[in-house]
Amino acid sequence: MAQDSTSFDAIIIGGGHNGLTAAAVLARKGKRVCLLERSGSLGGMMSVGGSDDPKAPPRLAHLLYNLNPTVEREIGLQLQTQPLKTISLSPDGQHVKIDGARARMMDGQPHEKAVSFGMLHDRFTRYAKLLSALSTRTPPKLSGSWSDPETFGELMALAGMGWGLKRMGKVEMREFLRVLLTNVHDLVVDELGDGPLAGALAADAMRGAFSGPKAPGTLFSLLYRFGNSGQVLMPIGGMSTAVKAFEDAARRAGCELQCHKAVAQVLVEDDRAVGVKLDDGTTLTAKAVLSSVGPLATIKLAGIANFDVEIARRAKNLRAKGTAAKLNLKLSALPAFTGLPEELHQHRLLIAPSSEYVERAFNPVKYGRVSQAPTVEILLPNASEPGASQWLSAIVSYVPYQAEDGWTPAKRDEVQHAAIQTLESYAPALSSMIQHAELLLPSDIETETGAAGGHWHHGEMGIDQILNVRPINGMAHYSCGVSGLYLCGASAHPGGDINGAPGRNSALQALKDGVL
Amino acid sequence: MGQHDTFDAIIAGSGHNGLTTACYLARAGLRVLVVEKNDWIGGAAVSRSLHDGWTYSNCSYVCSLLRREIIRDLELPKFGLQVIPYEGGATFTPEGDYFAYYSDHDALHRELARQSPRDVDAYDRFSQAVMRQCRFIRPFLLRTAPDPTSLNPKDLGELLYLVKKANDLGARELGETQRFWTMSIADFLDEHFESDVVKAHIAGGGIIGTGLGVYSPGTAYVLLHHYMGDVDGTIGAWGFARGGMGSITKALAASFESSGGTIVAGSGVDEFLVSNGRITGVALDNGDVYHAPLVASNMDVRRTFINHTKESDLPSAFVTAVKRFKTRGSSGKINVSLDSFPNFPAAPEGARFLSGDMHCSTSLQELEQAYDDWKEGRWSQQPYFDMLIPTQIDPTMAPPGKHMMTVFVQYAPYELEVNGVRSAENWDETQRQAFATCVFDKMEQACPGIRDHIVHAEIRSPYELEKEVGLTEGNIFQGELTFDQLLFNRPVPGYAQYRTPIKGMYLVGSSAHPGGGVMGAPGANAAREILHDVGKGRAMPVYAD
Repeated sequence: MAQDSTSFDAIIIGGGHNGLTAAAVLARKGKRVCLLERSGSLGGMMSVGGSDDPKAPPRLAHLLYNLNPTVEREIGLQLQTQPLKTISLSPDGQHVKIDGARARMMDGQPHEKAVSFGMLHDRFTRYAKLLSALSTRTPPKLSGSWSDPETFGELMALAGMGWGLKRMGKVEMREFLRVLLTNVHDLVVDELGDGPLAGALAADAMRGAFSGPKAPGTLFSLLYRFGNSGQVLMPIGGMSTAVKAFEDAARRAGCELQCHKAVAQVLVEDDRAVGVKLDDGTTLTAKAVLSSVGPLATIKLAGIANFDVEIARRAKNLRAKGTAAKLNLKLSALPAFTGLPEELHQHRLLIAPSSEYVERAFNPVKYGRVSQAPTVEILLPNASEPGASQWLSAIVSYVPYQAEDGWTPAKRDEVQHAAIQTLESYAPALSSMIQHAELLLPSDIETETGAAGGHWHHGEMGIDQILNVRPINGMAHYSCGVSGLYLCGASAHPGGDINGAPGRNSALQALKDGVL
Repeated sequence: MGQHDTFDAIIAGSGHNGLTTACYLARAGLRVLVVEKNDWIGGAAVSRSLHDGWTYSNCSYVCSLLRREIIRDLELPKFGLQVIPYEGGATFTPEGDYFAYYSDHDALHRELARQSPRDVDAYDRFSQAVMRQCRFIRPFLLRTAPDPTSLNPKDLGELLYLVKKANDLGARELGETQRFWTMSIADFLDEHFESDVVKAHIAGGGIIGTGLGVYSPGTAYVLLHHYMGDVDGTIGAWGFARGGMGSITKALAASFESSGGTIVAGSGVDEFLVSNGRITGVALDNGDVYHAPLVASNMDVRRTFINHTKESDLPSAFVTAVKRFKTRGSSGKINVSLDSFPNFPAAPEGARFLSGDMHCSTSLQELEQAYDDWKEGRWSQQPYFDMLIPTQIDPTMAPPGKHMMTVFVQYAPYELEVNGVRSAENWDETQRQAFATCVFDKMEQACPGIRDHIVHAEIRSPYELEKEVGLTEGNIFQGELTFDQLLFNRPVPGYAQYRTPIKGMYLVGSSAHPGGGVMGAPGANAAREILHDVGKGRAMPVYAD
């Protein structure tokens, strides 16, 4: 059948993993899908490149915390991963090795709070599992009456969750309802005392968030990261294989993937999305447009006049101020972290010696200042190959999106200097090994990926911006005002990290709405 | 009266909640005894003469939240309670200007327009949103929080009531409610206003008494605690109790005694006496023992169970949960005797807002930084304060022509850090004076030369508040108002309906739902549960929405 190369069932804006997932889901249902990526490479925040060295670490995200298993299954993602242990570094060399629910010291002895940690870990895993039922469906609208089939279905799903809660028993159910809204700091410090073990949980909860562990509601962020039982996964072959896996899934399903195609406008006729116009003037038509960029950027692409003023106002107020920066260092040799056996250098290293430390790292960012003692997540991706070129891949929290008096080269240096100083206090002589450093600030991430505020999750995942108010009240069902226009990025429910559920859910919602 | 008297019920503590419970029980025909550790009654709603001729409301200082249903039921006006509303308030800026908050709509619009014309429109949207939330929450205040794990018809009924009320809001408004209850006051204000001073003026209500900053999620809800009250039916209005906050507890005590109740002051509970899991009475510090099958504690949950109950009488999980209940002290208080009315150069002659709440914090950043200081064990270097001179409206509190000023300060830590050591004991006279100096320095912004007018000042840190009133760590709400400590989680999951693991023993203070403020709701709700348990549930009035 001869097909028009400018006419599709669905157009996906943005080639991040959520865009690719949405494309794959739709294509597997036999839809003609075209995905448009502005930059030269697919992967969005997972993307690699920017360096000639094939061993260079990914530009941004370097690990998988909570890739959604339903997504993996449904799009036939072929991705091999290996779980990493976490070493939470301590300035006195008393590092803690976290392997699943086990916490040990470097000498192999259990951590003094190992039992409490094990129980806490199990509890988080159970709670996360209970919540995961929410992540693969559109948040309930509850707009119809009880007899409306859709509302009835939503109520049944909620009742199912209630039943799951009930089955945990009274004590557990009460604890769940308490901790769901609590803050990480109090819960973790009450159970574990403050130190590298508590610090690791605090850092994992807060990575990417504009919030410190003492802020109410932050435990939810930790449960979100417990999507894979708290496992931290490294794609075998690095992040590039993960990008490739998503790309392959979309291609196998028959999607057309086009890079260097920037969308200038979403075309809207009679309150319906009918296609897109590229910045080279080309027009592509489609019955549905799924956008990976955030609500405000999407509204702007489609023309603000097409939206309710209240929706536009809320989109403008979306809380999305990135706080995570990426620092990639090319090193002359593998650095040695004090007190860390060599074989552990290939695992995930954390600089978060206490929950208080994480809170203090957050303080300056509130005022647009740079944290002098940041929280850092470190990977040495080539540590197991002594011969290969060595890199250090670090996610540095917290770094402000907007600096107090604007970003200047000196301010950038300040971020880099603070991060390297912090690293060096754990790995002496590190700075003498640095051959090349590359720093991406939240504002750079915004420029590169289009994520609002360069935010890790494309929008803060506070309790006031999740579920039926994610990304904003009135847009939680992936669609909004303009029929056929959907949000498929991390700003949509359930949220950020390399997860895939926003892409999958939005595609399913589009199919369900019958616009295709 | 002997020292081994037996009563139907004993209330430990004569705060406004304890007295409220006592009144309802006495009116239902029970023989009730209230015991109080101090020589005076009132808990944190007291009027005290600490300097010749002056009277301080030395803890709580303004009135709005006291439920009108309680005022009516207990006939408090008949027993001497008079609440006089005050007008507006202001924030003074370092540049010598001010932002005045008037309750008169037109005056407020004109004033907002002076700060930012856009904020005039924003204000109407803001106040509608807040009022909608007030209307939503008010009916829940005088209801017992449902136990979500229970299948008992009463709990299911309450849960259904909650679901129905939420559903009545409609999907859009429900989303707004979810956001409002979980967001920070600063984010909420940033969504509406552009003027820093307007935002700072309103934001104070979201942090008063809490261990949270203006950017901490959940502080928008705390703001509601400052908007959901009323004076004579005017929602959101605040007033002074004539004669100080002690007039509230004095009226409650008079109402109680007229129903035949007994109050014994001067010796506090040393131990709650328990036998076979059942309460039998209380032993006082002075050795007196009183017996009753019902005992209600007006003390906070930690003081009640950690300090005054044998641990062996309690389930260990309960003790752990109580120990983890957060009661962080974060507020200081300075009560000042003035020889004349201070000079406010920025204010126009005869400005009515001077009789309201006055502040000197002018931006959200400044408020957040004040919180950062507190987290590190310091008092805020640029403190937020809420200062009022009630003697302009209620001249009974100072000699003729003189004035009394009440200054509530946020933040002051309970455990003050001095030379690297954090301890409440560090609050000595030197530190208290340094704290006051910091506050008065900032106050110069509003009323330069204020120090020249000061005849006497009482300086109270959270530590003094704990020592005198008994509030653990000096937390004015008897426990943080964070969402993990509200509703069915307050104070401890599974014990949110005023009952405790000990049969016949109840919690009636603001550690219980719905929490702090001079509201009386925990006391009234607890009375309902107690009367229900003794088969006198009908003695308690039922309130329409």
